[in-house]
Amino acid sequence: MEDTSHKDEFKRDMLIYFSIIALTALIITISHLQLGVLGIWLIVPIACCEASILGYYFMHLMTKKKTVHLVLLLTVITFISLLFWPAWDVAYSPRTPSEFTKY
Amino acid sequence: MQESDKFLPYIVNPREDTGLYNAKFGIWLFLASEVMLFGSLFSAYILLRVGSFTWPVQSDLQNVPIGAINSVILLSSSIFFIRAWVALKADDIAKYKKFMYLVILFAFLFLCLKSFEYYQHFSHNEFPKTSVFMALYFLMTGLHGLHIIGGILVNIYYVGPGMYLREKDKQWFINRVEVAGLYWHFVDLVWIFLFSTLYLL
Repeated sequence: MEDTSHKDEFKRDMLIYFSIIALTALIITISHLQLGVLGIWLIVPIACCEASILGYYFMHLMTKKKTVHLVLLLTVITFISLLFWPAWDVAYSPRTPSEFTKY
Repeated sequence: MQESDKFLPYIVNPREDTGLYNAKFGIWLFLASEVMLFGSLFSAYILLRVGSFTWPVQSDLQNVPIGAINSVILLSSSIFFIRAWVALKADDIAKYKKFMYLVILFAFLFLCLKSFEYYQHFSHNEFPKTSVFMALYFLMTGLHGLHIIGGILVNIYYVGPGMYLREKDKQWFINRVEVAGLYWHFVDLVWIFLFSTLYLL
């Protein structure tokens, strides 16, 4: 019984391994297509998917206790808040040399 | 309660309220701080890139095939770590050691390829002072490389001199290796973001 479960786990791990490699190949292909901003909007979510799959299965986040989820949730909220904190400044910053001379 | 739990509670068995033993709770708090550390660098990257007049085409400056190979190498080492942990739980020490040696070997391979990339950059006169992008590239990959070196040292300890801990308490040792594995997977996870951000965008 335990042997079967180990085999199943192994199969699942290999499936995840090849899925992440396939997703890596996909983002490399997208990068080669030189899609500009669209490329960024495609590559970043796919990379997030890769990382989520890795965290979910390899780091056993799927079976983790609420404490771990809480710690990670607080971290993500703090990180996103800090990331967007200076965004207003960037949004109103001069973007071209000619705009720069106005200030 | 196990023997080791009498000296310091919850080093083997999980606490009732958190459902985690000490080391696992500790590593998750540590990983949370690591998310903030690397997160701050990614934030700096985004803000500097968005705020700059010009930005180089990164894929022209980087050796994408080597970066891709490094991704596969780190991911493979993660798989080997899982197999090592499974073997340890099954009390198959020979298999555990074999997979741990593979993890260490692949980690060294990663560092070798990274060093080769650095060498290529230096030979093209690309240094941290060359541009904002190169400064961020060397800072972020350098910090990640230091984490790899730290992981290698821990892995060498758990496959070499640290093996005596297993004689004290098997479950305690299994837990420690699990915690080291979580750190190793995290380092792999960071590389996924580094590769897509610094090589492909």
